[in-house]
Amino acid sequence: MNSMTNTARGRRHAVACLSLVAAAAMALTACAPPGAEPAADEPAAGGDTGTLTVGYISPTTGNFAVAGQEMVDGWNLYWDLNGSKADDIEIKTIVEDDAGNPETSLTKARKLVEQDKVDIIVGPLIANTALAVAEYTASVGIPNLHPVAASDDLTQRNANDLTVRTGSMGGSQANYPGGEWAATEGGYDTAVTLCADYAFGWESCAGFVQGFTQNGGEVLEQIWFPNSTTDFSTYVSQIQAVDADVVYVATAGGAPGPNFLNAYLDLGLDLDKVLTNCCAADQGTLRAMGDRILGLKSISYWAEGRDSEAVAEFIEAYKEFSGGKIPGAYVAGGYMTASLVASVLKEKGLVTGSDLVEAIADYTFEDSIFGRVSWDDYNQMIGPVYVREVEKLDDGNLYNVPIATMEDVDQWLGRDPEAAMQQPTYSQDFQGLE
Amino acid sequence: MSNRIVETRTVRTFGVQRGGRLRLVALGLLGLLLLVAAALPYLGASGFLVSLTTTILIAATLATSVNFLAGQVGMVSLGHAGIAAAAAYGAGWASKQGMDPAMQALIALGMTLLVSLIFGLLSMRTSGIYFLMVTLAVGMLIYGLAFRLSSITGGENGISGISRPAWMDSYWVFYYVVLAAFVLATAGLWIVSNSPFGASLQGVRDSESRMRSLGYGVRGYRVGAFMMSGTVAGLAGLLGVWHTHFVSPSTAGVDRSIHLIVMVILGGIGTLLGPLIGAAIVVLVENVLSSHVDRWPTVLGLIFILVILFARAGIAGSIRRLVRRMRDRADTDLPAQAGIHQDIPVSATTPDAPGNGKDLP
Repeated sequence: MNSMTNTARGRRHAVACLSLVAAAAMALTACAPPGAEPAADEPAAGGDTGTLTVGYISPTTGNFAVAGQEMVDGWNLYWDLNGSKADDIEIKTIVEDDAGNPETSLTKARKLVEQDKVDIIVGPLIANTALAVAEYTASVGIPNLHPVAASDDLTQRNANDLTVRTGSMGGSQANYPGGEWAATEGGYDTAVTLCADYAFGWESCAGFVQGFTQNGGEVLEQIWFPNSTTDFSTYVSQIQAVDADVVYVATAGGAPGPNFLNAYLDLGLDLDKVLTNCCAADQGTLRAMGDRILGLKSISYWAEGRDSEAVAEFIEAYKEFSGGKIPGAYVAGGYMTASLVASVLKEKGLVTGSDLVEAIADYTFEDSIFGRVSWDDYNQMIGPVYVREVEKLDDGNLYNVPIATMEDVDQWLGRDPEAAMQQPTYSQDFQGLE
Repeated sequence: MSNRIVETRTVRTFGVQRGGRLRLVALGLLGLLLLVAAALPYLGASGFLVSLTTTILIAATLATSVNFLAGQVGMVSLGHAGIAAAAAYGAGWASKQGMDPAMQALIALGMTLLVSLIFGLLSMRTSGIYFLMVTLAVGMLIYGLAFRLSSITGGENGISGISRPAWMDSYWVFYYVVLAAFVLATAGLWIVSNSPFGASLQGVRDSESRMRSLGYGVRGYRVGAFMMSGTVAGLAGLLGVWHTHFVSPSTAGVDRSIHLIVMVILGGIGTLLGPLIGAAIVVLVENVLSSHVDRWPTVLGLIFILVILFARAGIAGSIRRLVRRMRDRADTDLPAQAGIHQDIPVSATTPDAPGNGKDLP
């Protein structure tokens, strides 16, 4: 009995308390808190202090920590080499870890903008984090540079004046020329594809398949593997059964590349019939597989074996930094972004906000580590794509050396931009073929 | 003696125990906390701080829903991130179709109820580890759908540009909306916990067979409890998507559900404010400490291990137990006996705590 009345009294207390607080809250909400209004336009105005403050978001912990750290290393490496300055403008970088989680990415972006008052945000790496951050930064007028994120939509359906992809190509963009090359110079008539079963794999495959079929090739079958696949032997036998001239493989980097190649080579199949995307033949794969994959062909916007002064300088520096390793695409993306920012600032002086993005979009980077690149109206890179072959160079390391170059590749796969964006997004069911 | 029976769950909310003064103090503290929370934007807090607090409150609302199930019915769910994500995707899809925020909320509610019902129906026959596995499986199913149905969900890229109602557009108004939602959800679940329905749920938790033999439809109670908890989770999901304007499969990820359980355990299962404390710790470590410490996941892990080792009832639970023990020591003139029973939580069978079974027929 006693406890019953107690409960009832407790309820009355609670109700009284709640209503009091509700009333107070309503009274408070009637007028905006101090500083609620002017906060919005403050950060964009950090103009002529002579310092460009950069917020750099990357997943340096969690599942993507290796790639995330490489992306940071590339950026830092450039500034270490050149002193954190572009002429008189000092570059100050604040690195934040988002663990590959979009909510954390957003909170970090808010923190960088509101607390640290950064002028630009670079990163993050994973597609969904990149899209989330790009939308936020656009809403507060801060430029967002993307060194690695490959999602097509970042510079297509979600494009805006403040987002620019500076260090990579979209999944379909980078692989479309590979399809063209395979059907023409490569001399393959039929193909089978094996791609990772999620957005990046769908986009990469869509690029290859469209390039291949538009040039007279025939895709016999498309096979998809979950990202977590470790044993590729069943996929290899499926590929064997299809008996196409070439198998195109797209992974998102990491273990699937070497795992597939091991399974493929263990069955005694011909490496000349394999063509991969960037990431199935990145430096991680090369280091893991060794001489076994000499001659493996792949397609990417990054070719560490290209004969160029900028590339040589970058590779020397990274070897020293990392104890002899050759940089992969993530490091290159970070380095490329830093060198681009430096070049633009040297030419235009300290520009921020949408002016900076405009300056980048108008800029043509003649001798970048990717070759000659420029930007389109949607702030996406237009540049060369290389067909590469694994070779051992004089220093004893394996390099992806370009054997064919397609210059000025844009992101529209031969379509009109408006028409391209009217299409559904790429998936297993829609690969851009009519 | 009779009060040596160990009851390790120690699941009890404010108000079940005797003693008006302690409860008054607790309520006063709650009021003070609320007042501080309500005044936060006026205390010179920056937009970022308010937005971070909003994140904490949304996480706390979600954790509260997990806490209700775990504490009240003894069902630890690994699928609540999935329910929140279903609501978020409902709102996101509606926003992509150009519907206004009211329709977004309505569709989010529909998704929440549907998914909670599916969860409830699939898991009503199970308990313990089996319940955990079923909720894990359904949660993964939602994750898989979000990942693969790219024409609806946008696949891995997710849906962006989801706008909240215009009147709560500024960050501080939204903060009050979230604060109100958290308070209402917590109060609502507290009232349910202390109702006859809540007592029956505790009965189901403590002895399912006894409840069944007393004529209770145990499965109905389970589904009902899950629906209530799911509704709160859906509310948190909707607020979350209105906060970030963005939803992607990682919202439904199993790691998110695990984080929720970590929050609940850190704060204290079955406590009123435990979820808030747990959510604050996890969100702050993830978002603030990570700016200064590279190995912040290790720190989070260490905090978790320390709580498990030294404060098994969670932070809120341990504080309450400490207060109670101090008061007991003051009340009784037998300090030695209190010392002996130091590690024994208040038992369900002690004469002074009739608590759980009070409303049984």
